[in-house]
This record gives sequence, structure tokens and C-alpha cells, in this order.
Amino acid sequence: METLHEGAGELRFTDPDAVRAWMRDHKRREFVDKTLSDADAVRRFVADGDYVSFDFSSFTRGPLALIREIIRQGRRDLWYCAKFTLMESTLLAAAGAVSRIDVGFMGLGDTLNRAVEEGKIKVTEWTNGTLTLRHMAGGMGVPFLPTRALLGTDTLKYSGAKVVRDPFGGKPIALVPAVTPDVGLIHVHQADVYGNARCFGPGVSPLETAAASRKVIISTDEIIDHEDIRKDPSKTTIPYYMVDAVVYAPFGAYPGGLPGVYEMDFEHFAEYNTLERQGQLKGYLDKYVYSVGSHLEMLEKRVGLARLNDLRRRATVKEGYR
Amino acid sequence: MMKDCTEAEVMIALCARLLEDQKTAFIGFGMPQVAAILAQRIQAPQLVQVFEFGAIGPTPLTPFVRNTMGGPSNCYRSLAWTSMNQIFAQAQVGLVDYGVLGATQIDIYGNVNSTLLGEDYQRPRKRFPGSGGANEVASFCWKTIIIMMHEKRRFVPRVDFVTSPGYLDGTPEARERAGLPAGTGPWRIVTSKAVFGFDEDSKKMTLLGVLGGLTPEQVLAEMELKPLVAARVETLKPPTEQELRILREEIDPARTIIGRTAKAA
Repeated sequence: METLHEGAGELRFTDPDAVRAWMRDHKRREFVDKTLSDADAVRRFVADGDYVSFDFSSFTRGPLALIREIIRQGRRDLWYCAKFTLMESTLLAAAGAVSRIDVGFMGLGDTLNRAVEEGKIKVTEWTNGTLTLRHMAGGMGVPFLPTRALLGTDTLKYSGAKVVRDPFGGKPIALVPAVTPDVGLIHVHQADVYGNARCFGPGVSPLETAAASRKVIISTDEIIDHEDIRKDPSKTTIPYYMVDAVVYAPFGAYPGGLPGVYEMDFEHFAEYNTLERQGQLKGYLDKYVYSVGSHLEMLEKRVGLARLNDLRRRATVKEGYR
Repeated sequence: MMKDCTEAEVMIALCARLLEDQKTAFIGFGMPQVAAILAQRIQAPQLVQVFEFGAIGPTPLTPFVRNTMGGPSNCYRSLAWTSMNQIFAQAQVGLVDYGVLGATQIDIYGNVNSTLLGEDYQRPRKRFPGSGGANEVASFCWKTIIIMMHEKRRFVPRVDFVTSPGYLDGTPEARERAGLPAGTGPWRIVTSKAVFGFDEDSKKMTLLGVLGGLTPEQVLAEMELKPLVAARVETLKPPTEQELRILREEIDPARTIIGRTAKAA
């Protein structure tokens, strides 16, 4: 196949057979209880230097409790996949946890943009769609997938994509390489202890992220009986064998919302926005991450039952989310 | 400039009028969302919005909630909830008529920059959040509408970075030669002062209409690039009372989106 253009962006490409061997050797087929605390899950499955991918958004069903735990444990040098990230990529950067970002869309406020301008974080350009497609390729066990996005742009030039001549039709087509993250982080509505998981509502790529990642940590607002999974299998988003750890994290998307369960905390985001604009994210991290030992302690001491109840009360739209 | 309405209200009203009923439209974050809801409340009740989070055909609850594009209020009573890969595939296969996007900077061929200002990719003078889904929307949708504040520095002969494709270098069939889907591209640019299209042959940005009370010269003076000017430049009606009432009373009473005005140059 004739290569017409190639992007200059740095890649971490893995041979699909190496991924297959990993899946054979590390993904457990037996039904074992995978529940762990947030601290234990991050300790076991997130290492310095890992490529980390998360699903959805800090506003909606994002794994924010897990992100805070990664910061709390002081992980460094992460390569972060920003397929649609707002607050979480900013917090990771403010904490000094990331050194590289694959950009679909990054940041809430200017903190991350400034870090890039100052050369503190290295970026590779992608798009939301091509990053999710790269996860699909990774989760399919193929080395790349074709797309008609990126073509003709500087986004392509600074990505790791290649443009080839379509061997069937002859037109130029972009190929995006598979990504197989070291860690996939996904917050879900419900999961059983084995990791069969349900997400309700629209989303970015929960299944693709779980399928592509070597280590998958699910946080879930509810643990349900395994029998419930078998009674309604069309609701299963992620099958258990993709999942390495199940963290029971009620309000695990906080300060974001979980559709049908609780609303996002607008006042919290207003506080964040103010601190972010003042360059005071260290203070934010002290308050919500470093000064508390766990997600539950943060909910108890920094948010409180009254606020949490109010967020549940505000989630009046239930239809479609069960 | 009208005293009693904001620049955002002008842009949103002008954009909403372009959206036809019973068509599909890929809707980006912010002003495009409000424009699509306004169109649904006026002439396009069966406009089928699609979001990059995979919602198809939502009928968003109002008042509009700014931050939760993928949340229950904005995705209310959809036809289907899918995922990002699926929805971009549907746009790529040709099912989405319009794409509605914001932009930081644009050039005469409608190439859009939402990535950076400066020369050095790794050390830009100013970095922005990046493409998001804009590159896909501008590549795949049949007609792309770009909605942006009318500020001189945003309309430049050459963008610092082509995030999302317009007509590229403007040569005949430049998009097709790059491999982009045939027959797609930027269709309208809606600003707080004017509406532009693109000349069929030269693919250059062309002034089609100016807001009532402004002259074409006044509009062109606020652009670093020099667009073509249509033989007959239309006078665009400012937001009507009906449009303003729906925007202010139903959709965005908190004025989170409609309250926006351009920063002083």
C-alpha cells in the first residue's frame, strides 16, 4: 500500500499479538470477586509511566473518584488520553501526574493550555472521533482502522496517523493506529462483583475503552447481583472478562453527574472555575484530594449528606436510565 | 449595532434560521446547541440533532443547562443513545445533513483553527483545547455551518493551524483529492455581523448578507482577510421579538450562552 502522508506525532504502538498474549495471560475467565477499594485498585493497577484512558466526561459519568485517587497516590509521568476531558485532565496536570497528552479535547480552563505553552506537557494531536476509533482498533485486535477524518489538515500532520491509497478504491484514506492503554478507567451505573457492567444513556466509548485496555478499573455507583445481569443481558455494556477491578464508589462521578441518579454539582464546578482562574488548583487539590484519605471521606467531609441528597433530588429525569 | 440584544443572540438567531425541518444536524457544544433548540421551537420542530456522545434526535429540556451536553436534560427523549464511534460512522456514511461548529480562527477557504496560535506546535504562543469532534463534523457532514464572534483577528488570510478542513488550498476538488468525502465542506459562516457562503468556483469566502444597520464596508473592515462580496448583499433581519422571547424566557433565562459579547479588540 502506498503511503501518501504521515503524521509526526509520537505513538505507543503495540503489536496485536503482544496484546493477544496479554489478554490470554492476564484477563481472568473465572468468576472471581474483583471488588477492591479505590486505593487498592489504583495501587495494583496504575503505575508511573502508564498510558491511561478514561471514559466520558467530568460533567457526566466520568470516573472522577478514580482520577482523584491516582492524584492522591502521586502517580507520575502518565501518558493521558484526552478523548473528551475537561476537569480531570486539568487536575492531573495541576498535580504533576501527566507528562504527555493525546489530544482530542482537553482541559477546563487555561491551566493545561499554559502547561503546553510552557513546554511542561508534550501533546500529540488527534480528535475525539479518531481517539475512540483507535480504542476500537485496539479492542478489535487489529493494528489500525481507516477513517475519512483528519485528511488535509494540520491535525493529521501532528498526529500519528498515516494516509495511504485505499487498495480497493484508490482514494486517499487515513489510517489510525490501535491504542491499547495500560489502564482504562470507566465509571458505570451498575456492576456485579465480577465486573459485568451497565452504563445507561449516551456515552463516549465505554465498551471500546474496556476492550482495548490491558488493565481495566471499573468504578460503580451500585453493586448488583450477578443474577440480575443474567436476567437482562441486553443491558450489559461491558462483559466481566475485560475487567480487572470493581470499585464500589457511590457518587463516583462527583462532581459530575450520573444520568438518572444524581445531577452534576454546579456549585462545585463554580468553585473549581474560580480557583482555576486564580491559578489556585493546588488549593483545590489540597481540599478535595490530599487532605482526605478516600473518596468516601471526601464525600463525608467535603461535600456532606445534605448536598449529596440535593444532587439526587435534582436528578428528576429518570426515564431511559434503568 | 442594536442596543438591546447581544452578539450571541444575533449569531444564534441567524444560525437557527438556516436549519431546515426534517433534516439531521450534528450539533457542537455551546452556541450551536442553543441555535438548534431555537430552530426546533420555530421552523424546524423535527430537526434531528445528533451529538458526539451518541444521542440521536434529542428534544432538550429547557432552560438549557450549559455544561451537561451528554446529561439527561440535553439528551431528553432522544430517538436513540449510541456512542461516539457509532455516531461519527453515521456522519461518515452520509446520514448527517448539517454540522454546526464554533471556531477560534478561520481563513478565506473556511479552514478552521481551534488548536493553537503561533508557529511551533510543541511551544505555541497560545494553546486551545483542540479539535474535539470538530474535525469529524467538518469532514463528514454535508453542509457545515460555522458560528463565530465577528472579530478582526479571527478572520485571517491563513490560519495558524488547520484543525478542521475547509476547502484547504482552494484549488478545484482539493477536499476530494485529500480523500475527504465528496460534496462536503463549509457552507455558511454566521457571525455577529454577517453571513458568509463560499464561491462555487474559487471556494473563497463570500459575503452574502449583513445585519440591518450595517454596511458591507463596515463588516469587511472587521476582518483581516478580504472575502468576495456577493453581487447582491442581503440585509439580515436582527433577532425578532419571537426569537428573543424564546431565547430569553424559555431556553436560556440565566443568559449563560446568550449573554455573551465579543471581547474588546
